[in-house]
Amino acid sequence: MSPSADFLGRDVVSARDFKRDQFEEILLGVEDLEKNRGSLDGALKGKLAALLFFEPSTRTYSSFQIAAEKLGMRVSGFAGPTGSSITKGETLHDTLRMFEGYGADVFVVRHSKMGAARFAAEISDTPVISAGDGSREHPTQAMVDLYAIRKAFGRIDGLKVGMLGDLRYGRTSSSLAYALSNFDVDITFIAPEALQMRPEVTQLLKQRGVTPKKESALKSVAGDLDVLYVTRIQKERIPDPTEYERVKGMYEVNLEALRDAKPSLKVLHPLPRVDELSTDIDETNYAQYFVQAAGGLPLRMVLLNLILGGAR
Amino acid sequence: MLVSRIEEGTVIDHIPDWKADIASRVLRLDKLAKMQADVSVVILQNVSSRRLGRKDIIKIDRWHVDEKDADILSLVFPNITVNYIDEGKVSKYQPKVPDSIEGRIRCPELNCISNTEREPVIPKFATLKRERLLQCHYCDALLAFDSVPEYVRP
Repeated sequence: MSPSADFLGRDVVSARDFKRDQFEEILLGVEDLEKNRGSLDGALKGKLAALLFFEPSTRTYSSFQIAAEKLGMRVSGFAGPTGSSITKGETLHDTLRMFEGYGADVFVVRHSKMGAARFAAEISDTPVISAGDGSREHPTQAMVDLYAIRKAFGRIDGLKVGMLGDLRYGRTSSSLAYALSNFDVDITFIAPEALQMRPEVTQLLKQRGVTPKKESALKSVAGDLDVLYVTRIQKERIPDPTEYERVKGMYEVNLEALRDAKPSLKVLHPLPRVDELSTDIDETNYAQYFVQAAGGLPLRMVLLNLILGGAR
Repeated sequence: MLVSRIEEGTVIDHIPDWKADIASRVLRLDKLAKMQADVSVVILQNVSSRRLGRKDIIKIDRWHVDEKDADILSLVFPNITVNYIDEGKVSKYQPKVPDSIEGRIRCPELNCISNTEREPVIPKFATLKRERLLQCHYCDALLAFDSVPEYVRP
């Protein structure tokens, strides 16, 4: 299978810009790469990836960096604002323009502002891949998540997926919800009211005919789920500290919380975790998050290769 | 109450009663003062109306309100009518809900890239007509038509 023209030179700013067959093409590519490790090594030799991380990142930056290097690309840019001209006040606009002048073939951009990825894609003729923009979206993480789900079940259709934690400010959850809306899945958002999914996300899902259920506690739905996608509740996001203390225990996933779960349940987490996901899950069949994390590298290699039209 | 006819200008009619100040903000009439334009503005409030019972009217002498600003005002007050007067002749303009709005409204999401100082971003919205919502082109944030006056850019 050769890369489809759908991907050549395209931007990746939102998971909702992708259709089912495009997600499937990416997932098949990752599966293929995992079977034939090394098959894409050097495929983009001589091209330049500019990784522009206006917000600090360790794992997403590293996975893009290693992916680009394995593809034979040269890598330039910065892993956070410290030590870059961002601290001097250089704008996203000017930074992109500058790196475009240096001959970048692709931009990977992380920014703290919502919508920064779409803006970057508008001002640049070079393809832009979002590595997260504020609390809006993190589309490549959603692709990683889809891959982990498919790897566990061999399919995505027909599954019941619960998304738990800080759905309002967590950028991975909105992207995953958009991605899942292309499949025949049953989605439940599990969060305290203050951290339920943003209205614009539910509105966009509604336009696609998807109306996720909403729950305030894991307990009531744990037994029904095939996939539990856990995200962290950040203390600073809840205005009232006593409210935080009240709710945090309700969203901690440990063996006790999964007492009624199906034996086939898979727990996903975009990582890093703090205390919302207990290590007592790690050695159980529920844990899919390390498999999920390992998919990040091949997925980003496949995506870069599809966009830049490398050899296969 | 007698207000003389105008020969050149705009009459915004059928504004809900006591809401002319909001209409004035959406139409950005304060810019007239900044421009030191040679115009006069009369605001009539709580005037009797056959259609609405009571209504407000804004008459602007020697100034044509931009159609796009009138369209935005119609998001908030769907019943307004706009009359342009040229050499004493009246032509009606029926404001319409636009498919998109560019540059005139700022995003309600403070953390949106379009609210970032020094980035050359022009805020853009798509209109979701049935839901009576605007949606930010960049961050997807929603803004109810009724809340538009709070977000009109100067």
